[in-house]
Amino acid sequence: MKHLSLTARMSLMFMSAVIAVLTVAGLSFNMLSQHHFKMLDRQALVEKLESTKHLLNNARGEASLSEELPQLRALLGAHQDLAATILASDDTVLFSDPRAVEVPERFRRANEQNMWEWQNGQHMYRGMTAQISVADQPEPLTALLILDVTNHTHFFDTLQRWFWIGLIISALVSAALGWVVARSGLKPLRQVTRVASGMSARSLQERIPLEPVPQELQQLVLSFNAMLARLEEAFIRLSNFSADIAHELRTPVSNLMTHTEVVLSHKRDITAYEENLYSNLEELKRMSRMIDDMLFLAKADNGLIIPEQARIELADVVYKLFDYYHLLAEERGIELSLTGTGQAQGDRLMLDRALSNLLSNALRYTPAGKTISVLIRQAADSTTFSIENPGDTISSEHLEKLFDRFYRVDPARREGSPSNAGLGLAITRSIIEAHKGRIWCTSAAGLTGFHIELPHSR
Amino acid sequence: MKLLVAEDEPKTGTYLQQGLTEAGFNVDRVMTGTDALQHAISEAYDLLILDVMMPGLDGWEVLRMLRAAGKDVPVLFLTARDGVEDRVKGLELGADDYLIKPFAFSELLARVRTLLRRGNGSPTQTTMKIADLEVDLMKRRAVRGGKRIDLTAKEFSLLELLLRRRGEVLPKSLIASQVWDMNFDSDTNVIEVAVRRLRAKIDDDFDLKLIHTARGMGYMMDAPE
Repeated sequence: MKHLSLTARMSLMFMSAVIAVLTVAGLSFNMLSQHHFKMLDRQALVEKLESTKHLLNNARGEASLSEELPQLRALLGAHQDLAATILASDDTVLFSDPRAVEVPERFRRANEQNMWEWQNGQHMYRGMTAQISVADQPEPLTALLILDVTNHTHFFDTLQRWFWIGLIISALVSAALGWVVARSGLKPLRQVTRVASGMSARSLQERIPLEPVPQELQQLVLSFNAMLARLEEAFIRLSNFSADIAHELRTPVSNLMTHTEVVLSHKRDITAYEENLYSNLEELKRMSRMIDDMLFLAKADNGLIIPEQARIELADVVYKLFDYYHLLAEERGIELSLTGTGQAQGDRLMLDRALSNLLSNALRYTPAGKTISVLIRQAADSTTFSIENPGDTISSEHLEKLFDRFYRVDPARREGSPSNAGLGLAITRSIIEAHKGRIWCTSAAGLTGFHIELPHSR
Repeated sequence: MKLLVAEDEPKTGTYLQQGLTEAGFNVDRVMTGTDALQHAISEAYDLLILDVMMPGLDGWEVLRMLRAAGKDVPVLFLTARDGVEDRVKGLELGADDYLIKPFAFSELLARVRTLLRRGNGSPTQTTMKIADLEVDLMKRRAVRGGKRIDLTAKEFSLLELLLRRRGEVLPKSLIASQVWDMNFDSDTNVIEVAVRRLRAKIDDDFDLKLIHTARGMGYMMDAPE
């Protein structure tokens, strides 16, 4: 059954159903007919037996008995298949039809009212036996009425033969019908298959139309379309990422090339060469860091970033980061403040890096003289970390995309800030996601906040 | 100090040899794992720098056979891969450190010096002196030209690090890691600010400058003898 096509399965099931129904119907019909014939036979036998009794009861003595016999013959002769034998008590045959057959001894002693059946070679008989008392005779006579029902058997044989032939024909016809029904029923499925097999990376925006598809297949088509949408999204993100990489690397590479060529085009003093090499070194370091960051993100995308599971006091991490960044904050007159404590389960190095990115990001956008506030709250099943800084409000269309790699709110700033490749927030997000946490950004009324929720795992 | 560099990429190999030689080391260079093993067994090196991906034997094989032969010379791996399992494998086999390509040469130099120093078991000093700057590590005090200098805890740690490794260019990432325990590259200029502040206290009032900037590479503390 495993390798049969759906069409073949449905045809087979159709056929089996028809065979089962027909067989039950045929068997019932057969049994009912048999019963009916039996009742008819019994009725005929009982009737004739009563008449025979009547005739013999009228007789007086041996002589009178022989007078009644022609009447008996006339009575029975009307029925073609019926024969009678009348026996004296000493088993001498008083009367016998020429058609009457010799029946075995046991039927002569059979009870009245009981119809017996006897199969003799090709022939089938039904009969009844009665003991009849005759006046002037000391012992009763035995009357045997025998009905030849061989015709009935023939009828049933014919009936059965035709039933089997009919059954086979119906089975074949229903199988063929089943095939046709299955084929036409599965047509939408073949349509789906056709669209699916035509899919390639270039045609990911295609969808399977929902209208002509029957209800049973709609869920399948919906899931399939949803899968296509996800693939398309991932594919677009990947292509954008590649384009971004090319763009982000092209700028420093072309800087390096131009700069080096210009320097080499004339003889210069040693400090000019040195200057060029230093400048190249800075550019190269930036590229190297970008490659590292992109590798980290690529690994995170492939689920290769597996954080350690250590118990981490988030306030300790924040104090350490404050310790590191406070020089920078002081220079720009920015205050750093922390409220609350909370624990998280995770990788110390990665969380250091994630929170450090958020803090350096906040430092970059906070105006002088303002305060960056960090808030840690521990709840029953998670710890929330929020870092808020005053600064320009980010419009809601950008909020979601802030975490995309290379995304910048202001596209013109792309070339501008050399130290910020636009990967910091993407890295922070992949770290938080590797910790099964959630990160989001809010921005309203000149206050921008990044929030992290880390579940207390396992 | 004698080093062996096994690197199959000719340009990288040449630059490594040149850089290390100019930093005062005696450097042999080979291009295959088989040669590396042969050299390492027949000659006495203070440190091996092995590329992981090499024709013949890879770096791990070389290390395994070397350790099997009873050589416990320190080994630093250079690797283009940074899969966790690679690190674990290397460290399990007894590598002493690893650097992921692309790396900064100053970073390599710093690591090489750390590994060589580890072997020597440097004596624990309690006071250090450079030119007219004296530092008492126990009392956490610094005096220059007879004048006491007030330093914060982090400034003192930074000064101590520069002093302990005087004459070496220390990359910013190394400083961040050693002084602030920040073990990842941060793209801010915190270290510049910190060094600038330390300079203001140590160098600004004196003609002889002790803290030097190696542009694009890091910082160094040194004074003419």
